[in-house]
Amino acid sequence: MSSVWNWIAIPRHGWQFAVFLCGALVIGCAVLMLLTSTPPRYRKTIVAAVTFLAGLYYALEFLIPPALWPLKPPRNPLSEVQPLVATLTQIIWSFALLLGVWNLFLIHGRAVAKHGRGWYNSAAFFISFFAILGAGLLKDYAKNAGLSKASESIFTVLFSGFLTSLDATMFSLIAFYIVSAAYRAFRVKSLEAALMMAAAAIIMLALVPVGAEITNWLPQAGLLSALRVERIGYWLLTSPNMAAQRAIAFGIAVGSLAMGLRIWLSLERGNFFDRQL
Amino acid sequence: MNVLEKLQTIDRRVLYLLIAAVIAVPLLQRPSRHPRIVFAEVRNAYETLQKVPKNKIVIISCVWGPGTRAENEPQTRAIIRHLLMQGTRFVILSWDQLGSQLTYEDASEISSELGKRYGTDWVHLGYNPGPMYAIIRGLGKSFQEVFKVDRFGKKLRSIPATRNVRDYRDIGAVVEITPSGTVASWIAYFNQPFDVPLIFCPTAVMSAEAYPYLDSGQLDGMLNGVIGAAQYETLIGMENERTYAAAAAWALSCAHIFIIVLIVLGNLGYALSKRSTRRGGGKTIG
Repeated sequence: MSSVWNWIAIPRHGWQFAVFLCGALVIGCAVLMLLTSTPPRYRKTIVAAVTFLAGLYYALEFLIPPALWPLKPPRNPLSEVQPLVATLTQIIWSFALLLGVWNLFLIHGRAVAKHGRGWYNSAAFFISFFAILGAGLLKDYAKNAGLSKASESIFTVLFSGFLTSLDATMFSLIAFYIVSAAYRAFRVKSLEAALMMAAAAIIMLALVPVGAEITNWLPQAGLLSALRVERIGYWLLTSPNMAAQRAIAFGIAVGSLAMGLRIWLSLERGNFFDRQL
Repeated sequence: MNVLEKLQTIDRRVLYLLIAAVIAVPLLQRPSRHPRIVFAEVRNAYETLQKVPKNKIVIISCVWGPGTRAENEPQTRAIIRHLLMQGTRFVILSWDQLGSQLTYEDASEISSELGKRYGTDWVHLGYNPGPMYAIIRGLGKSFQEVFKVDRFGKKLRSIPATRNVRDYRDIGAVVEITPSGTVASWIAYFNQPFDVPLIFCPTAVMSAEAYPYLDSGQLDGMLNGVIGAAQYETLIGMENERTYAAAAAWALSCAHIFIIVLIVLGNLGYALSKRSTRRGGGKTIG
């Protein structure tokens, strides 16, 4: 099994790459058409069966110790195909990227075609998409050195100048909202609120260099050293915080187990699970 | 509007301007002084990487992208610099499309600065879409089968740094640099089953969740946000250099103090106006 897979999975170039690409497309489309033409009730059963089998593999591989398998030397045979399963899941997940692009094309394509309100924003999506795609491909694959260099410059401007800066800007806005929200919402109206605020202030100071500077006049060792801001902050993090985090983690683990079982056994209902595929 | 009300209702645009100024000044001034204190978890992370045998490779798993670049990039750079300085080979694995390019640029820059070579001292495995658990579980069994080629499509078997990496036995440590809680996948599927050291480098906001794992020994060290990166720089002998991490550490100091002052001012106004309301005048807001 593994050797067959290795033969399939080795990188191909030239006409072999083209044959493999066309073959994968034909097989993929055929499976998709077959699944689409299947009546909904059977389709649901197929999806449930595939989900169950995929989950069963991981349950058996992860939970059954090698000693329980009647093999010498003791080993779990399912573990041996783990790299193959990892590659297969990578391929399936990659389809999600394509699905995302397809979805964006559909939504923004419709907006541009209808010329509705804000259609130019959708047009901007297409322009930026093809600009960075073209520059990226030309940068790596153009045979002409001049064209390749020009594409690299354009790619750098688009990637570093626009894309990463825009992404970072979106995230950085949170800082401004946090400051405004902390100022407006943090009001000491009860003992609990006062405790929370004191703990927050100590942690905020303990985690930055200025905290250590504030109480630097206190000794590094001995009884008084326990009053240093970084010591109090560390105690808060490793005692009350850790207890709370453990409790939350246990709760999440139990909830995840229940949720995982429901999805594995196709018992889950509601959005995304009940709708006709 | 009296002073008490004003203390509670400072215009948000004024706050935005002030916080921008408070953060910008240390970043522009770039002080070289690094934090005086080095946390125990940062020191443990450093010592763990110091102990990695030379015949083993370190996996740097980067989940971050430009959104958390300010915190995760200094951590990545500090770890890369340390590994290159001590001659430990490493591979970078990126789970974010944009982060893949950024981590490659970072490693290339530090590598050429230290006179190291791509392929011999380090390798970039490119962007991987996931799922993390399947890949992590698989690479413990066969590194070469899960990551067949590097980011340029070159076979890992033909690259000197990765030629002899078979499975978990050739992996000396894993460093997870992430803005989220992805470390649990490494703990469950790789580091616990195969007993490989794990270092966690989260954004500061996520670090509180890691203390139970540090306490249980499932994590061997942690770089707590950009402060952790600045402390790590101190350990690798960069304590007098004007780095971004050091500047960011002081920018965060100023920002935290500014926020505390604002909260105190708001509460002062609230408490005073509450007292005057009881006496028959004033107005409580908030």
